[in-house]
Amino acid sequence: MEELILKLKNEIIEVLNLEDIKPEDIDENAPLFGEGLALDSIDALELIVLMEKNYGIKIKDPNEGKDIFKSVAVMADYISKNRTK
Amino acid sequence: MRLWITGSGVVSALGVGKEATLQSLLASKSGIATVHYLLTEHKEFPVGEVPLSNEEMEARLGIKAGTPTTRTSLMGMLALGEALDTARLDSSALPKVALVSGTTVGGMDRSELYYLDFLENDSRNEFIKTHDCGACTEMIADHYGSFASVTTLSTACSSAANAIIYGARLIESGKADIVVAGGSECITKFHLNGFNALRILDTANCRPFDDSRAGLNLGEGAAFVVLESEAHALARGAKAEAYLDGYGNACDAFHQTASSADGEGAFRAMTQALARAGLKPSDIAYINAHGTGTPNNDSSESEAMRRVFGTAVPPVSSTKTFTGHTTSASGSIEAVICMLAMQNSFIPPNLNFSQSSDCVAPVAQLRTGVELQHVLCNSFGFGGNDSSLLLSNTSSSLSHNPANPQTDNPAIYIYSAQHISAQQPFSREWMTNPVLHTEPYVRSTEPDYKSYIAPMEARRMGRLLKRALAVSKEALAQSGIAMPDIIVTGTGLGCIENTELFLDALCREGEQLLKPTHFMQSTHNTISSLMAIHLGCHGYNATYAHKNISFDSALHDAFMQLRSGSGATALVGGHDEMTPSYYNLLCKAGYLGNEGEMASECSASVVIGTAARENVLCRIADMTMLYQPAPGQLKEAVEAMLVRNGLAQSDIAGVLTGFNGSDESRHIYCDGYDELFGKIPMLKYKHLLGESYTASALALYVGATCLAERTIPQTLYADGQQHPATEPKALLLYNNDDGKNHTLTLLTAV
Repeated sequence: MEELILKLKNEIIEVLNLEDIKPEDIDENAPLFGEGLALDSIDALELIVLMEKNYGIKIKDPNEGKDIFKSVAVMADYISKNRTK
Repeated sequence: MRLWITGSGVVSALGVGKEATLQSLLASKSGIATVHYLLTEHKEFPVGEVPLSNEEMEARLGIKAGTPTTRTSLMGMLALGEALDTARLDSSALPKVALVSGTTVGGMDRSELYYLDFLENDSRNEFIKTHDCGACTEMIADHYGSFASVTTLSTACSSAANAIIYGARLIESGKADIVVAGGSECITKFHLNGFNALRILDTANCRPFDDSRAGLNLGEGAAFVVLESEAHALARGAKAEAYLDGYGNACDAFHQTASSADGEGAFRAMTQALARAGLKPSDIAYINAHGTGTPNNDSSESEAMRRVFGTAVPPVSSTKTFTGHTTSASGSIEAVICMLAMQNSFIPPNLNFSQSSDCVAPVAQLRTGVELQHVLCNSFGFGGNDSSLLLSNTSSSLSHNPANPQTDNPAIYIYSAQHISAQQPFSREWMTNPVLHTEPYVRSTEPDYKSYIAPMEARRMGRLLKRALAVSKEALAQSGIAMPDIIVTGTGLGCIENTELFLDALCREGEQLLKPTHFMQSTHNTISSLMAIHLGCHGYNATYAHKNISFDSALHDAFMQLRSGSGATALVGGHDEMTPSYYNLLCKAGYLGNEGEMASECSASVVIGTAARENVLCRIADMTMLYQPAPGQLKEAVEAMLVRNGLAQSDIAGVLTGFNGSDESRHIYCDGYDELFGKIPMLKYKHLLGESYTASALALYVGATCLAERTIPQTLYADGQQHPATEPKALLLYNNDDGKNHTLTLLTAV
């Protein structure tokens, strides 16, 4: 799981173009939206693309994403249970 | 003086022409259906397509097979033809008529088909030239004759509404007697997939204001209205179809793709339109809502309507349930629908409505026999570019004079000017110690953006956005003005880097999983909206995208507004980027890559205003824009400008031309120079600062800087001769592209 969390952090930094942020700056248990990294709705859409492209997980309803994108740890847990690639 | 609408034409999913449109509206018959003409995998999204193939449209228009056209230009030609016919304007009248068109996708329908050919072979090079927004407008214009001036508005889904507003301003400022204004936009895979990446498309027919609403359906079409001053219309015996009594443009300044919860931009746009017409909210009999059917838009728009109208919101409907969301064309298509409703005394229904929500409840069934005196027509775009038009029935009267042109013409000062170009950013060192490039293509020299933009804000900004924001912040800081009243931007291509990334992924990887961030930045108005969002500026906001006059059009808009008292200060910028791959395409198209020229990138911003202050750079005394002047007309325009401003040729220290060193440019600027400008020395700047669509913004920067520094550097003289040192009192800027799109801008020293 730790490996997946690190991989995911790097992927998030890349797709969201978070310049100057390193994986160790992201607390995997901190919220991604609202506080923590304070991402917004467009970032959520980019994360939906990431989930499908990298892990074969389709998220149809952006509202569904809200629960999955709570934190990096929650995302990693969801990916490990639902990934198709 | 009232603004008359003396002609109109429309094309949409409801058919070609006003009669077909009217019959569909009266029959409550939607044009939205399964996709038929667009070659897309996304059959699950219903769309509102114009029920004609490109070939059928070409046949109707008498265009020879094999002529390069775009769907946007073909639909525009059909709508323009009807508008000119109903206004009884034939080709002989056009040299006195201005055309203003709105589009965002422009020729993207062809670019997305042929993009890989553009990159890999020479089989489709003619369609590289039809890609940009201005090219589409010129194709529409040239089909009918020789218009006096043309330009293109690009504020995403409010483009056509803003084209009509700019048209109104041309008439109110006395720059034109007749203006044809509107917009045209075809559906493309590019924006269908972009909207899908943003998750705002519904797989069922759209249900604006309904509790179950889940997104929009894309539509396509075109519409134009003929605006005319009352005096001119009366003199030629033209009949009014309706009046344009008010308009408003404001920026929500909230988010690039979402509306604020309180609908601030929409509230301000509607309030301004009412104020301009001198009407009360209770005078409005119907609102044609923007009503896209997305949860966000309809909530925000409902809140804005409640803020304007309180508990007495007039009957509202979204006719996007008939046409789909025709994006850049929606403002003019829906304005024509409003005119049909007023002329035929009915309220078109908001189809598919069944469940009330927290939104305003729309009119769900057709209402006939309803006398409509005054109506509002809303159009809101990405970036919070919100506009509202107030249209009135010909039987209506107004208590006050709605469009009273001001005649005192205050002076317009340039307070500050900044640049990022092929020279050192934010520096005047080019005057004494320029960087001399020898390559044919040079990217701009970038400052360190970290001091201008926080990393979290920068995460969704491509190079051009960063550059435009940094240069604008420098210009504002230099002017001492924190918040301008007006923000206007010109860009020939917008954020072409992101457009290419999205297009490349679409063409190579197919219609899945495209990045929303790239799509968001592909709309030309992202730059101007970013300024507004960054500053929290709710004032007038617009973007022009018309080749070499993109910046000139933006400046002209701001110039007219300041002169008419619509604001006291404006931030005006010209911004373009040039990627290596797009540079190669423009070389293949013959636009760039000519011996002697240096292609580059441009960001230049000026802050201008009406108040005399210390340390102003110079004055903008006058501007004239001409599309395809007849022989002698340009010379007359130069002479008239000098006379208007009480100047002789000998008062002008130089004509700062767009001469870029190539043979083609020599032909454009040098042949006939003496005839136009006599003995005034010819100046150049592109050899130092570079060639680009918005290079004329750099010309303004250079001209203003020379007048402020009270010198003309020797390197600017085009003849290469040593000229005696001179303290310039006035400079003329002359921009021209291939014999078309001429702009004369007169700057005078303070």
